[in-house]
Amino acid sequence: MIARGLLLLWIAGWIVAAFLWAPLVPVLGETTRVLYFHIPAAWVTVLALGWSMVHSLLYLKRRNLEHDHQAAAAAEIGLLFCVVATVSGALWAKAMWGAYWNWDPRETSIFFLLLIYAAYLALRSAIDQPERRARLAAVYSGIAFVSVPFLIFVVPRIYFSLHPDPLINPRGKVDMDPRIRVVFFALLVGFTMLFFWVQSLRVRVARVEHRRQGSVA
Amino acid sequence: MPASGSSSGRAVWAILRKECRSEWRTRYGLNAALLFAVTSLASTSFAVGRMSDRTDVLAALLWVVLLFAALASLAHTFVRETEGHTMTLLRLVATPTSIALGKLLFNLLFLISIELVTVPLFLIFMGAPAPRWGPLLAILGLGSLALGAGATLVAAIIAQTRGRGALFAGVSFPVLLPILAAAVSGTRAQWSGAPVTAELRLLAAYAVALLAASLLLYDHLWEDA
Repeated sequence: MIARGLLLLWIAGWIVAAFLWAPLVPVLGETTRVLYFHIPAAWVTVLALGWSMVHSLLYLKRRNLEHDHQAAAAAEIGLLFCVVATVSGALWAKAMWGAYWNWDPRETSIFFLLLIYAAYLALRSAIDQPERRARLAAVYSGIAFVSVPFLIFVVPRIYFSLHPDPLINPRGKVDMDPRIRVVFFALLVGFTMLFFWVQSLRVRVARVEHRRQGSVA
Repeated sequence: MPASGSSSGRAVWAILRKECRSEWRTRYGLNAALLFAVTSLASTSFAVGRMSDRTDVLAALLWVVLLFAALASLAHTFVRETEGHTMTLLRLVATPTSIALGKLLFNLLFLISIELVTVPLFLIFMGAPAPRWGPLLAILGLGSLALGAGATLVAAIIAQTRGRGALFAGVSFPVLLPILAAAVSGTRAQWSGAPVTAELRLLAAYAVALLAASLLLYDHLWEDA
């Protein structure tokens, strides 16, 4: 209860700071602030996918449905954050590049993650029996595990990207105002905590659902 | 793993022969796939007309047609077993890996026969300029290998779900997307005279990664009795 309240205060406080305290970057102007929502959302997208894949592989190894609950919950939440990252990125692209969508390598990768999440959840919805659903979804996760690095890391290296890369590009890092960095990392932590909190809720719901199904059958 | 190396090689060969024979008896899958490929080719060609000078668009359209043909036909080998209730018997006589490898080889033969018809027809219908055959065939070959490896693995999953056919396209698309990107860019480079080695390397690496993942994952495909 207290932890939840603190998390709420933490995120709300830093969002206020993002608007009132942190300065704007010259070229980006008012669009600087998308940084505090877009990048943490994109980070949680990747984190959730990794979480889901690790638990899928653990399920294949140990055959414990608990891992399947974890994998499914992370995929659902990851899809949500993926949508947030995609939409905020598209809005930013409209403001800076003049178009919502132009298949920039970053846009391609995030769209690809969106497809993987959607396909994984669609696959799950098509199988009734819990063990079979867990096993086949985990196998699919394993295939996605192989293909994700190809799109995320290979394609952006092949095609030219306009995407600003302040985390990877050292020049961008030097330009970053310390206040921007503080707010950004604070919200990164906040979004990560938010993910783990919603994840724990979702897993508990999945556990209850599974137990109820067991008692009905 | 009950089977040793040599006997599992024989099992793969036996599965491949069985697939070819049962396909040849009705030719239902091949006819449907060819008809579908020609239909999507004709509708594309009819919609855009001849375009000899836009090889960048031609490369994209060629792979869209091939991807559609693959999506329409490659789930067939596994779905047929489920619908005919023959999967259990097949699993009694062979390991999951040899079943899947046999079906993968069959799917590759299947893709190649579709391409033998589709690619020349595409070049003729679209009025495409003469391709450089060496690079084009290399891209088609590696692209088909990767397409076949990815689609076969997804098909094995899909065959065990409700609404098999409907899901296959959507679920395998994310896995096949990197192939589409690399193959289109390679085909484009082939027409514009640029080197295609980067794309070939990417396709080969992806095909090998998918095959390696397949060998690890096939064991988990059918466990519940």
